[in-house]
Amino acid sequence: MSGTTLPVALRLGRADRATAVRSFLRRNPRMIVGGALVLAWLFIFVFARAIAPYDPIKVDVANALLPPSSAHFLGTDDLGRDVFSRVLVGSQVSLRVGLISVAIGFLFGVSLGLAAGYLGGTFDLLAMRGVDALLAFPALVLAIAITAALGPKIENAMIAIGIVAIPAYARLTRGQVLAVRAREFIVAARTIGASPLRIILWHIFPNVVNSLIVQATLSTAFAILAEAALSFLGLGPQPPDPSWGQDINYSQRYLPNLKWWMSVGPGLAIFSAVFAFNFLGDALRDALDPRLRRSG
Amino acid sequence: MIRYILRRLVLMIPVALLVTIGVFVLVRISPGDPALVFAGEERDPAALAAIREQMGLDKPLPVQYVVWVTKLAQGDLGRSFQTHQRVLEAITERIPATAELGLAALLFSVSVALVVGIVSAIKRNSLVDLLSTSVTLAGVSFPSFFLGIVLILLFAYVIPGRIFPPGGYIPLTQDVGDNLRRLVLPAVTLATASLAVNLRQVRSSLLDVFGHEYMRTARAKGLRERTVITRHALKNALIPVVTLIGIQIGAIIEGAFITETIFFWPGIGRLAVTAIPSQDYPVVQGVVLVSAFSYMLTTLAVDVLYAWLDPRISYETATA
Repeated sequence: MSGTTLPVALRLGRADRATAVRSFLRRNPRMIVGGALVLAWLFIFVFARAIAPYDPIKVDVANALLPPSSAHFLGTDDLGRDVFSRVLVGSQVSLRVGLISVAIGFLFGVSLGLAAGYLGGTFDLLAMRGVDALLAFPALVLAIAITAALGPKIENAMIAIGIVAIPAYARLTRGQVLAVRAREFIVAARTIGASPLRIILWHIFPNVVNSLIVQATLSTAFAILAEAALSFLGLGPQPPDPSWGQDINYSQRYLPNLKWWMSVGPGLAIFSAVFAFNFLGDALRDALDPRLRRSG
Repeated sequence: MIRYILRRLVLMIPVALLVTIGVFVLVRISPGDPALVFAGEERDPAALAAIREQMGLDKPLPVQYVVWVTKLAQGDLGRSFQTHQRVLEAITERIPATAELGLAALLFSVSVALVVGIVSAIKRNSLVDLLSTSVTLAGVSFPSFFLGIVLILLFAYVIPGRIFPPGGYIPLTQDVGDNLRRLVLPAVTLATASLAVNLRQVRSSLLDVFGHEYMRTARAKGLRERTVITRHALKNALIPVVTLIGIQIGAIIEGAFITETIFFWPGIGRLAVTAIPSQDYPVVQGVVLVSAFSYMLTTLAVDVLYAWLDPRISYETATA
């Protein structure tokens, strides 16, 4: 037996796992930056109400339209509401819509892609024509049309953005499933009598999950941007609840008076949240999915 | 080539039908009674029943769909609930403004992306490259409506002399100078997100081409660097960019909804956005359909152009 390779332990211990994660992060430093930015936003999302120095919807006309100062970091709006507090609490709307709509898109898109790729035939044909029909609409136009039809509410914005996200997940998953389906371990699983559901969930899904994580991160960025756009058009949460897009729209009327802080706070918040998810998504793509890596 | 185009058109039919079904269903699930919206102040039950019958709302849904899609095939998109104007007429009146804005944005996006992308790829890791790669990531994350507001604030209010007006539209035929002055800010706003994507694509496809052996051969033949870049690198690198520009047209159509709203630009995007609060569904439906069909046809045109530009693509196998 000398000279032959012995089987190695398949499961890593906790210490080995920590070392593997550390080495992975050392090789991909952009992930640390992206991850830190996303974690910072998630922290704000969870603790926004505790961090916010003022009540974001409390009207205080005596302090209306104050420029940024140590008392109000981002100034106050025309009703005397603290812009910084509205930006912090507004993150709860934007990130909630972002995360839930991505979950909707992920759940339906991945299920559709797994089923279409694995089953093939008529189901695949019909499912992919449905996906093509969704792709025939520019994404935001479809989200606007769905939210307009269902009514301007935060839940409807989530559904609309979730539906818009389905095609990307479905196509990506189906493509990956088609690539994996003919591999030996799937044929082996089928030969020993594993059920299609078991094969899909236990053998195929783990092989496509890396690309899906990348897609989920990037589509969270899109979802935050889309929610802000819907809110800007009046199709998101309704006043007086704080929402980044809606607050920017509202601030437009004060531009001629140069009350710039009303727009800048929520604008920079959208930018930095979307940037954080895009940055992490790009870093994840480079680290986890070399096939999608770009030379840029 | 003709067979390829015809096959693509045939494949488009079921998708187009699904699109019409989707839009029809969306309008029918909308809250509120279309007859009530159409009737305005009228609340007499008999009059409402007459309106419902006239609009075909008393018939079963599949029948309503067939009637609607038949009219659609004849170019009849119905009438606006608010103004009672024909929807097709309302859309065609506004298409020149949207087309002008879209073309200006596309021109700006593509030309800047080409110039900066080429410099960035040739002088890799230079200051220009560093700036352009940072701008691309920032550009895709910057919300267009915020950019529009920043531009309005700067050029219309902060910088003296009001270089560019904060909004509004003057037709090109009426005053060319004023039209162009009003076009600059919305076109830049609309172009920024697609500029970032195009820039990244130009740079990365050029870098990809630079690694090929024919580039080394071209240099080894003693060709001047300029000839190597223009004749050999750009010709090949721009093929994927063509596809990307096609995809960007979708971004420009959807961006028009936002940009036209910020800058009071009287295009089809603003028409739809102003129709939403008043539940003017035929208008929203019409604009959404026109956007979807324009997007589908543009994608087809780009695919055909792509197949024509790159002879390696087989017309027999390249499908949707």
